[in-house]
Amino acid sequence: MRLVSLLDAQTIYIEHHETTLVRVYAKLVEKICQHHNLPECCNHLMDLILKREAEGSTTYPSGIAIPHVRLDNLDDTIIGMCVLKKPVVIGDISLKMVILIITDKSSSKLYLNLVATLLKLSRNPAQMSLLMTDNTAHDVIGSFRMMDLVVKEDLTIGDIMTQEPLFVRPESKLSEMGRLMAEHGISVFPVVDEKMRFLGEASVLNYLKVGIPEYLLLMDNLQFLRAFEPLERLIEKETDIQVREIMQNADIVLSPETSIIETVFEMIQHKKRFFSVVQDGKLVGVITAMDIYRRVIRA
Amino acid sequence: MLILISALIIMGITYLFIVTEWINKMTAALLGSFIFVLAGIMTQEQAFSYIDWNVVFLLVGMMIVVAILKDTGVFQYVAIKTAKATRGRPIWIMLLLFVMTALISAVLDNVTTVMLLIPVVLLITQELKISPYPYIINITMASNIGGTATLIGDPPNILIGSRTDLTFMQFIYNLVPPVLVVMLISLIMIRIFYRKRIKVSNRDRAKLMEYNERILIKDRKLLRRSLYAICLMLVLFSLQGVLALESATIAMTTALVMLIFSNRKYVEQIVSEVDWVTIFFFMGLFMIVGGLSETGILRTLAHWIVEVTNNDSKLIALTIIWVSGIASALMGCVPVVATMIPVINDVNLAMGGAMENTLWWALALGSCLGGLGTPIGAASNIVAIGIANRNGFRIRFFQFVKYGLIYMTISLVVSSIYIWVRYL
Repeated sequence: MRLVSLLDAQTIYIEHHETTLVRVYAKLVEKICQHHNLPECCNHLMDLILKREAEGSTTYPSGIAIPHVRLDNLDDTIIGMCVLKKPVVIGDISLKMVILIITDKSSSKLYLNLVATLLKLSRNPAQMSLLMTDNTAHDVIGSFRMMDLVVKEDLTIGDIMTQEPLFVRPESKLSEMGRLMAEHGISVFPVVDEKMRFLGEASVLNYLKVGIPEYLLLMDNLQFLRAFEPLERLIEKETDIQVREIMQNADIVLSPETSIIETVFEMIQHKKRFFSVVQDGKLVGVITAMDIYRRVIRA
Repeated sequence: MLILISALIIMGITYLFIVTEWINKMTAALLGSFIFVLAGIMTQEQAFSYIDWNVVFLLVGMMIVVAILKDTGVFQYVAIKTAKATRGRPIWIMLLLFVMTALISAVLDNVTTVMLLIPVVLLITQELKISPYPYIINITMASNIGGTATLIGDPPNILIGSRTDLTFMQFIYNLVPPVLVVMLISLIMIRIFYRKRIKVSNRDRAKLMEYNERILIKDRKLLRRSLYAICLMLVLFSLQGVLALESATIAMTTALVMLIFSNRKYVEQIVSEVDWVTIFFFMGLFMIVGGLSETGILRTLAHWIVEVTNNDSKLIALTIIWVSGIASALMGCVPVVATMIPVINDVNLAMGGAMENTLWWALALGSCLGGLGTPIGAASNIVAIGIANRNGFRIRFFQFVKYGLIYMTISLVVSSIYIWVRYL
């Protein structure tokens, strides 16, 4: 469906003055409560928004904030929108737009697709500057009609994956990969060449396997062996070995169009919690089982 | 004539694929045999009738026995116990492991023995910081030499035992003496060659002695029962002549009894560990050789051998040792033996029974020991080299051949002298 179909000029306003995020929220709540008969309203609704905000920030680096509330006994999705002529600065993010979404507890798919569409919009400078020139709510509606943004009916991996993920190159040393693992707490990386072409994956298990020769893996059990020098001295080899020696070909990669259900299916089938997302042979993102939990189930 | 030529072409291509593994062995053998049927050289019924079910079930039975025994952890236990028994002296580890491997291979299949022992050997040599190459090669040799001694030890013997009425004890009685001599020579050679070459530090030796191999035996009850079952199997095999039982019956009975002893949940897992690819490879091979005999070419070859050697039994026996030995080294012992069995049957017929069983022993010794020569001579060589390569210890074709040819030549010379002295 088209994004403009979900918008209502009565719940959109343009803020010309300097303001704060909380004041924007309050104004949006006021407008929404005027025009909709919600089960929770005014101060109570405001509390819910702030409570959700306290659990995790809803502002995105691309200059957009998408707070949201889920209400019992509501069977609808309502959008309030504020275009900030004077950006609100939060940390190093300069906010140009706030979109409040109030929805029921079950329709998370529509909500997630809405967020995905809005995020895509916020990353498009041409579309964003078009909105910045609008002076009335009706102008905003007009701009949206012109942009013809579509809210996808189905969520895909491209919407929830981590874009621009950390990666390693085949010629990187293990020490480099070790540093990334330690700094970011990430245990698996896609391996790409200088043109971002996807080559394979390298995980902490591939790394540790350097200290366990294949012949030990051929044995039934290793209980008789209390210690093994090559494993304990793995760190000494870190600077000698390149990622290409330990990386493995990823038999399965996902395309950004892969559905969530298929992704979960692949994860369970192959006991893999991490997939590289590849389009036309190039790495475009990564998706983990925790991403699905956090961004789909929990969202 | 057209049939003969097409049969020879099909066989030639099939054997080429089997030797080079350009396509998988099993696929090549089965494909070749069904092309025989498609080409009308034999009917499907005839093809199936050539499958030696005694061999098939003997192999399946023995593979199940090994799969269960493997799960008890006894192989690793024996290898580590052996190494510790030498108190970590490298040359003695090599000698004792040689003897152990030969003994185990005489009863169980070589490929599994090598597959279970080589990893432990790699671990021990790495801990002792010594080169694993001599150990890998000598253990592979030991498994082939040991396997030569019994009816169930090596695939060529299994094939010969099944197509003749030779019993388990006859194999032992006739093949153990030359095998013992070959082993003795090997041990002396190893001792002389490596005595001063391998050095181990006190500290590394102490590490080896710290291994707690007792932990490796996971299921003592199952191990005890399995060992009883295997002993009973050996007793039955040695009474084979008296009881008039075929080998497959004995092996399968043992395997099934062991399956009942072990956890019933594991039955499917154990059966999946049977090397079905090898089993079907044998089936394909039987059918191909069957197709060849249908054309009469093998009988012609037999008569030709008798004619060329001028009916000289000595010459025939020695020719068989060396021809089957060299052919085994070049194309693997199993296809050679499978093809030679009908030929030798015909030679025996042509000679009017004058040779008794001598030619069978010549074939067994020639093909089993010829398999020592090259990596493709026997399946266990390929497996051992494969494991070594995957662990970064590259053994190239000719590196193996350098040692293999020494072992093969010594073994075939010993076998020739033995056959000459004892039977001719």
